[in-house]
Amino acid sequence: MRNTYLWFLQLVTGILIAVLLGVHMVLMHLDAILGFFGVYVNDVTSWGSMIERSRQGIWAGLYIALLAVVLYHALNGLRNVILELTPSARTERVVTWAIVAFGIVAFVWCSYVPIALLSA
Amino acid sequence: MDMDKNNPITFKVQRYDPEHDGTPHFQEFMVPSSQSMTVLDGLIYIKENLDSSLAFRTSCRMAICGSCGMLINNYPHLACHTQIEEFHSDTLTVKPLPNLPIIKDLVVDLIPFFNTHKSLKPYILRQDAEEMENPTAEYAQVPHALETFLQFTYCIKCGICISACPTSASDKLFLGPQALAQCYRYCADSRDEGEKERFPVVDTDHGVWHCHLAGACSEACPKGLDPALAIQLLKRRLVSRAVALGKKQQPSSTVPSPAETKPKLPFPEFTVK
Repeated sequence: MRNTYLWFLQLVTGILIAVLLGVHMVLMHLDAILGFFGVYVNDVTSWGSMIERSRQGIWAGLYIALLAVVLYHALNGLRNVILELTPSARTERVVTWAIVAFGIVAFVWCSYVPIALLSA
Repeated sequence: MDMDKNNPITFKVQRYDPEHDGTPHFQEFMVPSSQSMTVLDGLIYIKENLDSSLAFRTSCRMAICGSCGMLINNYPHLACHTQIEEFHSDTLTVKPLPNLPIIKDLVVDLIPFFNTHKSLKPYILRQDAEEMENPTAEYAQVPHALETFLQFTYCIKCGICISACPTSASDKLFLGPQALAQCYRYCADSRDEGEKERFPVVDTDHGVWHCHLAGACSEACPKGLDPALAIQLLKRRLVSRAVALGKKQQPSSTVPSPAETKPKLPFPEFTVK
């Protein structure tokens, strides 16, 4: 059932991306709509505001979670595309491990900044 | 067949003999047409009157055997089920089905296609091997259980869905809509217990998850089946088993055969001497 779990995770991460990216987009670009609901944010795109948010655990967690689900969703999709275009058992092994390695490196590298800011 | 009433049709037929030709090429034939004439009638006319070396498969001439699948004006059809006048054209291009190796002219090699079909064990599988080998009764099935998979039993294995499928075109190892739909047909059968044997075959990198839901198979199927639907239902079945959701029904039990429950009516006596 390995491929079934991979595909099910693709669905779950797709839904999570819609939610987490939705939060990000609303905060960054739709502050007028937030004001309509009585939530007022001050200059969310400024450096100071960004650093302040990054030092809050909930925001750092949200962005690290968004990074994880985007990486899984994108890299699993890319793997499927490559395997469809180059079907062979050897390609499958090489592509799978290359993508897993790239995903781990990208996750560690990109999550370093929010973790460093959180612990600063 | 009255051949004189209508204009002649130009058949552009793809020819390829691997023993003599390097690459496939087209040959044109002028075929007298008539109302209700099928593309297969045209090909038979060519074979009988113009070029007896033309190779194509045909058998039943009534869309039952699935032999005469071919690409007609760049769309897969059964030649016996396609009338020439449908195209409103004086020229017809006839090619072998794509995504399958060519043996000669319009004849494609269906052995890989049938082997994939066989790999999914397209028959009822049960745990009670003794009953399967030496049946003593029939397995019960209510009408609504039959309706869950009935349309997929009408597959004639013509290969048209494979030739229409964009995934089969790009991924040569893809199982294809025909085999996947038949996998669902047997897994959905209330008499069957073969999921454990079939799921490892379809749950692979080139199995059910590579279907893009283009729907070309359902669009092209000459019997009106919806293989794309079967594939989606198969995906749902796989996920529900993987995450332990949904009710797994017990396979149906045996019932006494009608002969044992109801005596046969006596044969009526002839009243006219």
